[in-house]
Parts: sequence; C-alpha cells; structure tokens
Amino acid sequence: MNKHSKIFFTAILLQFLAITAFSQAEKNDLSLSISYFNSNNHTQYLVAHAKSKIDGKFQMIPNINLSYYIGTEDAANLLGKAVTNDKGDALLFIPPAAKDEWKKSAKVSFIIVSEKTKDFDAAKGNVDITKAKIQIDTLADKKITATLMELKDTTWTAVKAVDVKIAIKRMDADLNVAETQTYPTDSLGVASADFKRDSLPGDSKGNLTLIAKIEDNDVYGNLSSEKVVPWGKPIKYYTQFDKRTLFARRGKSPLWLELLAYSIVVAVWGILIYLVGQIKKLKQLGIS
Amino acid sequence: MESLAKEQIIKDLLPQKFGKAGKIWVGILLAFCTLGLVAYILQLKNGLVVTAMRDYVSWGIYISNFVFFVAISLVGSLITAVLRLTQAKWSTPLTRIAEIIAVSAITFASIIIVVDMGRPDRFYNLFLHGRLQSPIVWDVIVITTYFFVSILLLYFPLLPDMAILMKYKDQTGMLWLNKLYAYLGKFWKNTAAQIHISEKAINILSITIIPVAFAIHTVTSWLFATTYRPGWDSTNFGAYFISGAFLVGAGAVVVAMFVFRKAYHLENYIKEEHFDKMGKVLVLLALLYLYFNVNEFLVPAFKMKKSEEEHLMGLFTGEFAAVFWFAISTAMLIPIFILIQKKGRRPLPAFIAGLLVVIGSWFKRYLIVTPTLLHPFLPMHDVPESYKHYFPTWQEWAIAMGSLAGALLIITFFARIFPIIPIQETITEIEEHEQA
Repeated sequence: MNKHSKIFFTAILLQFLAITAFSQAEKNDLSLSISYFNSNNHTQYLVAHAKSKIDGKFQMIPNINLSYYIGTEDAANLLGKAVTNDKGDALLFIPPAAKDEWKKSAKVSFIIVSEKTKDFDAAKGNVDITKAKIQIDTLADKKITATLMELKDTTWTAVKAVDVKIAIKRMDADLNVAETQTYPTDSLGVASADFKRDSLPGDSKGNLTLIAKIEDNDVYGNLSSEKVVPWGKPIKYYTQFDKRTLFARRGKSPLWLELLAYSIVVAVWGILIYLVGQIKKLKQLGIS
Repeated sequence: MESLAKEQIIKDLLPQKFGKAGKIWVGILLAFCTLGLVAYILQLKNGLVVTAMRDYVSWGIYISNFVFFVAISLVGSLITAVLRLTQAKWSTPLTRIAEIIAVSAITFASIIIVVDMGRPDRFYNLFLHGRLQSPIVWDVIVITTYFFVSILLLYFPLLPDMAILMKYKDQTGMLWLNKLYAYLGKFWKNTAAQIHISEKAINILSITIIPVAFAIHTVTSWLFATTYRPGWDSTNFGAYFISGAFLVGAGAVVVAMFVFRKAYHLENYIKEEHFDKMGKVLVLLALLYLYFNVNEFLVPAFKMKKSEEEHLMGLFTGEFAAVFWFAISTAMLIPIFILIQKKGRRPLPAFIAGLLVVIGSWFKRYLIVTPTLLHPFLPMHDVPESYKHYFPTWQEWAIAMGSLAGALLIITFFARIFPIIPIQETITEIEEHEQA
C-alpha cells in the first residue's frame, strides 16, 4: 500500500468514525421516573414520567411506550402498558390481577421500561414503596385527624414524624384548613389540625371535602384520604341555562322581547289586514 | 281646452308597447337573468362550493347584493311617504317610479337571501325553528311586512288609473292586459266614497311605511352590528344604513326619472324642476351619508385598536383601498360636487350623478360585508390560501348580475303594463291648479 493509499483509507476511516460518533451523539438519554399513588386506600395507580436533557434543558418527552412491572421485570409481572402524553406523563391503574404479587411482601417494587425509539435508547426506572395507608377523621369542635399506618410484616403499625398535609379540596388546588400547611404525625401516627375556615363556600348543602395526604414520600409514595363534612356555607348556584334569555334556545326568548315583537307585528299586520278590508269595501261600493 | 289637455295627458301617460330599443333592453335583461338562473342551477347541483365563499368569507356578493336591494327599496318610503306627508306636490310624477323600484328591490332582496343558502330546501326551518332573539328572524318578519306595505302602496294609487286603462283599452293593446286591468280595478268608479277610502288608506300606508322602512334598514344593519367583529362593532350602524339607503334610493329614482323621461318622452311631466329638486335631495343625502362615513371610519382610525388596524388599513391603503376610495368618490364626493351646482342638477348631469351614486353604493355594500369577514379577531391559522382571500366566481357574478337584471325587468314590465306616472293624480292636480 503506497503512501497515498494509506492517507486515503485513513481519511475514509476517520470519516466513518465521525459519522458513527455523530449519529450516536444524536440520541439523548431518556430519564424515566415513576410515582406510586394510593387514593382513599382503594384506588392505586402509577404515574411514569419521561424527560430528557436536550440543548441543556430538561424537556418532557411524549409518545414513549412504557411497560409497567411489579416486583421483577418478567412477563408474568407485567401490569400493563401506557404511552406518555405531551407532558411526558403516562398513568396506569394497578390491575386486580397483580393482587398475588402485591400481597407477597410489605415492600413492593415497581419498574417501568421504555422501548427503543429512533431518538432514544431503551431506558428503565423504578420505585420501591412500603405499603402504608392514611385515614382522615373528624372530632368535635371541627378538629381533624389523619392517621398514618405502615405495614410491617403482617401488622399495621403507626408511623411517627411524617408531615401530613391536611387541607380542604377545592376545584384547582388544596386550601389549608388553618395557617399551617402540614402537620407531623405523633407516636400514634396521628396528625391533628383545627379547622379555621369559617363561611367557606361549600356545595348546595354546605359540604366540603377534607383531604389528608402525604406527597412524594420516599418510603410511602403518594397517599391520600378524603372525607366530606358539612362545615361550609351552602351555596345556591344560579344558572341561566334554559331560562328566558337573549342567548337561550327557541321558545325561551325573554318575555319583554316577545311582548315587544308580537305587539309590533300585531299592530302593523292589523293595519295591513284593515287596509285589505278597505279594498273589499271599495269593491262593494263599485258593485253597488 | 281642458278636455283636450286631459286627453293629451292620458295619451302621453298610457303604457306604450316596447319599441326596438325596449325590446333590445328586455332581451339583454332576459339574457342576464337566464345566465344567472343557469349559474344558480349549477350552484344547487354542486353546492356553495362553486362560489368563492369559504369558512371566513361566508357572506360574499350575495349578501352585499341583499343589503344593496334592501337599501334601494327605502326610496318607496322617501318619495311616496315622506314627500307625500310633507305635502310636496312636485313629487307626484315620481311616486310610482319610487314604489315600483321599492317593490322590485325588496322582491329580489328576498330571493337573493335564499340564493345565499346552501340548502334552500330547508328554508322552512327558519320559520319552524327560528329564534325570536335572532336579528335574522326579525329581518324575515320586517322584509315580509315591508313587501306587503309596498305592494299596497303601489296598488291603492293605481286604482283610479285602472278605470282609465280600461276605458282606453283599445290603445293599451293586448287582451290579457285588459283582463288584468279588469281583475285589478274593475270596481273602481271614481266615486267620492271610493276616493275618500283610497286617500285614507294611502295616508295610513304612508305613515305605516316610515317606521317599517326604518325597521327594515335598522334590523339589516343589526345583522352586522350585533356581531362582534372589526368594522361591524358599531352603535352607529342603524343610522349609517338608513342614511345610505335613502341616498342610493334617491339616486336610483333620478336614474329612472331620466330613463323614463327619455324613453317615453315625458318631458312635460318629469321636468327639469324635478331633477333640480331631486338633485337637492340627493346632495343633502350624500352629505348626510358622508357625515356618517366620517364617523364610522375616523373614530376607529383615531384609536386604531390593534384588532381593527388590519381591517382599517386594508380599506384605507391595503387590498381594498381602490374599491374603498372608488366607492367613497362615486357614491358621495363626485355626486356632491356635481349636484351642489345649479347646472349640475339639470337632467343629464343629475342622471350621471345618480348613476354614480347607485354604482358606488353597490361597492360600498360589498365593502361593508366582505373585508370584515377577512379580518377576524382570532388570527387565521393552518387554513388553505383560498380561505384568506375572496374574489367572486363567475357563478356568483352571474347570479348577482342576474338578480339586478331581474329587478330591472320587473320595473321594465311594470312600465309596459301600468302608467309609470299616475294619470288620474296628474289630471286632478292640473285641474286643481287651474281652478286655483
């Protein structure tokens, strides 16, 4: 191989390596995380989140196919599949079929696995949780308690020193029941709060929904419990739907409009009918 | 002498058969009507997709034409009612011209609105399921009412002439015409009781037609003004429409006066005095309409709200500027300049001014309807290019021109069948004048 050939093949090799490196650099790392939710101690679901650092910023990644597993990444332990939305989130309710695997231990592991795409390699994420439950209750004088218990082996044990959020569930966010947002559990696993929101608008019966929750806890995940109490101010909802308004359907026009319009129509057409009667009178005069 | 004068009046004013020019005129109008009908059949067959109307411009020249017809029909109330009630005797030769313009215009206003419907076979739903809250339903009610008022206002003053037409049936020509006269007015004996009833009825109609006419134009303006869009969102619209309607109606009467005067040699009845007076009316109305236009454009232009800027600049200097300034000039500025001078109120210049008013007013209606639709408050996104512009297709032009020809055809046939100047009223006025 002469000198020129060596230079030529070296250049080709470098070109190939550069293209390979560049194509590999095109793929960003996909980061998967998963959160466990237990609502009112009966609805359990998992929310996976997919993100990637692109151009120095984390961005939510939609359209990622995810497989959810309980315990181990075996086909037998597959909980289901979901696809991330525009916010990079994918929600999956834990199916009843996972009951046996769930009962095996006080601690449970959930795993998510993404498929390889043209933009991302396959990725994996997992979360380990200790089974726990939270129970909200009320006492006299509008006192609220929330009891947090965890499963140790086969017995439910009180958990102390965990911050519990006790709030009133509103349309878009939770409203503190008093000045403080969270309340720590004591040795009995109980967090207590006083309800300080008088005259808060409730539903038509004055009902409010209280909620106790722990959020993004490293051990227990997200737990919440709700209770409806008649501590609010009854609100009468006024609606214009199907009432006599200018924007209502046919037959529901305002009475003033009907009165005005029909009066004008009757008056003008009354005159026209009278005048047609005059033509008849002219005919009679002409004949006689 | 008086008898001879009377005979002369009757001879002059009896309907005449079409001459060569008349036949050509009718032939041209019929050709336009036929073309319009063919285009409408194509539209019925293929749907409104044959038009250039799309999601944004859903009201094109059909609705412009509708507004134009509604506007021109107001002349019936101006000449017949307002001038009659104000005892302006000079307007007598013009009343029937004004009324037939009103009837033909309102007839084609009703027709063109059906033409604009994609499914005219569902028209009855407007009555079955129409909402009383909708200005469209008010428009249907008020147009129907105005049509009947105009028909009655045309018919009552025609009754005394029916007796004359039957008396001179040999001169009027065809047998079916005499049968028509007999059917419409055989009972008219010109008795004092009949005259009393007829005059009372005309007075009642003259009073009734004014609020109805104001209502029709106000409600038509509300079709736009009750919609929140640039260029339509105005409290001024009712008065703006009425003043514009009076202007175009008066312009049309001046044009018709000139044409009938020439075609039927009516120089002794439609005199220079009439052109002078109608010229003064026209210049007053043009100034009034100009005032409302200044209000309508200067105030928003002074504020130049971002949402209206594109629409206004489109009219002043943009894609509609040529049509806008043409309409302002021909409908108002040039006619004012012509008619404000005494020599400008002679028949020919007045006719030219009237014609300019009518043409300019048609384009003004187009400018009221279309540019606004092309400038919605929410920006246009991801729409085909054809949605962003509007230029009528040949089918739309043919139908619009066909409807205009149809309105002219009604006026032409009416003038062939009935006296275009009231005979009996003219005789009575001359007799009263001589006695005085």
